[in-house]
Amino acid sequence: MKPLHHLSAVALRDAFLQGEVSAVQIVEAFLERIEHHNGKLGAFLTILGPRAWMKAEALDKKRSHNQPLGKMAAIPVAIKDNMHIAGEITTCGSQFLSNYKAPFYATAVHRMEQEDAILIGKTNMDEFAMGSSNENSAFFPAHNPWNLNCVPGGSSGGSAAAVAARLALIATGSDTGGSIRQPAGFCGVVGYKPTYGRVSRYGLVAFGSSLDQIGPLGTTVADTALAMEVMGHHCPHDATSLDLPPETYPLSKKLQEGTVIGIPWQFLKGLNPEVRENFQQALEVMKSLGAHLVEVNLDILKYSIAVYYILATAEASTNLARFDGIRYGIRSKAGKTLEEIYDQSRKEGFGREVKKRIMLGTYVLSAGYQDAYYKKAQKVRTLILHAFDQAFGQCDAVMMPIATSGAFEHGSIQDPLEMYLQDIFTVPANLAGLPAISIPSGYDRRGMPLGVQIIGPQLCDVAVMQYAHAYEQASSHTRIPGNYAS
Amino acid sequence: MANFDSQTLEHLKKLCRIDCTEEENREILNSLGRILEYVVQLNEVPTEDTASCRYVLRGMLKNQMREDEVKDLLPRDQFLSNAPDQIGGMIRVPPVLKPSS
Repeated sequence: MKPLHHLSAVALRDAFLQGEVSAVQIVEAFLERIEHHNGKLGAFLTILGPRAWMKAEALDKKRSHNQPLGKMAAIPVAIKDNMHIAGEITTCGSQFLSNYKAPFYATAVHRMEQEDAILIGKTNMDEFAMGSSNENSAFFPAHNPWNLNCVPGGSSGGSAAAVAARLALIATGSDTGGSIRQPAGFCGVVGYKPTYGRVSRYGLVAFGSSLDQIGPLGTTVADTALAMEVMGHHCPHDATSLDLPPETYPLSKKLQEGTVIGIPWQFLKGLNPEVRENFQQALEVMKSLGAHLVEVNLDILKYSIAVYYILATAEASTNLARFDGIRYGIRSKAGKTLEEIYDQSRKEGFGREVKKRIMLGTYVLSAGYQDAYYKKAQKVRTLILHAFDQAFGQCDAVMMPIATSGAFEHGSIQDPLEMYLQDIFTVPANLAGLPAISIPSGYDRRGMPLGVQIIGPQLCDVAVMQYAHAYEQASSHTRIPGNYAS
Repeated sequence: MANFDSQTLEHLKKLCRIDCTEEENREILNSLGRILEYVVQLNEVPTEDTASCRYVLRGMLKNQMREDEVKDLLPRDQFLSNAPDQIGGMIRVPPVLKPSS
């Protein structure tokens, strides 16, 4: 048998079910990898050693007694540190919650554990999921396994780095403006953002409630599909959870006959040549699978960043009002009166980017400016929804690159606006609530991974996964970064 | 649209209940100014006849009604275990009423 970390999550589970490897051996192998690599990678904030051992022993016992085992049996799974595991710390990448012990489970995480996944650690992230590089983590930045000088992307950078380095085989992420897909692209793994409402947000620390969606990262499309089968259920605790039966994801190497892929060429003009060439190669692969390519008009997407940074910060400013130093999280010793406690706790607990976004969100919602900013953005959001409606009248899915370049170097983007513009290809799917997947599509001249994105109409999660699987099987760009293969 | 100056920032900090270091003040003032300049481009988009986006999942979300009964209650001690300060099973806060003189 191959080394355990060379297997896909599905293959590792099957090896466990067939008795080729025990759950204790799996946990031992992955905890050893984490211990060996995490110091340099910074992918995990918390390692759940005792919890993982206990689960492994229980799984081995279950198997020896021929008891039924779950769909994710013995798969080591990493959880982004903004999702609750009852009894464990949820920091959300922030000093504010550095001691916060979750009193309950996030539904998506609980469902995976009930299906016998082994929760192995909590992953690093930009504070409150605000960032595109993981450099906004209050603790330490995570690094890209392909080159430690580069960022892993953000905000689910720790999850992407953990999966790329095979320290876990599946990780959860949350995606408000690309926070699953962009780091997946930067680290050369698969990242999936479901249709808004497909996965319950209960137990996820809220950022932008009309945009947030939990999803999986994995080394293959099939692995992320498995995680979706487990996570994508209706949940009464989340009022925006879709009340639909859970889906299964039958995958085939072939594309369904007559599949039409739309490309928004006008919106993509000005693409850097290397990314354009890589994207065109991906389109050739889709053509070889029998897809028809058509041009679609999504020019309105050039306003996505402006719309997104108004709406996401407005929603964040209200969601983060709960962090007041009174009920949970840190309370500043510097404050004597109630007002001082608010002001000082938020001063000490929040990092600069979080403060900036709360202020921007408060500004665009404040008297006198609401019409000019917030309401205007909501109207343009409507136009973006309409543009996608029209595009999906002409095609089954839209394809575009996942980012304007491969992973950039730590500290290389200092300008806040330039950092925000990094999200131009990922933000539209959040604004329109669409399912979207990031798949490895090759490497740039520096050897850093590149990725393409497939976006489908609302509720077409299964179709998006199927297109991605067919592309992946025909192109196979997934590799383990050199230093992490052995 | 208004000029984003340090006076606006001070007002905003009060609205947000956030204090900042001097360095943060400078950096936030500079970047918010730039970002607000950037988002002005939305004015190019005609939206006179466009409705505000209220729901992304159009027609797919319904009100989720439930019986009005207590469920999934978080035990008091478990909730309080995360409170920064507590007394007698309650969260302790500084006095909010001033003694009358």
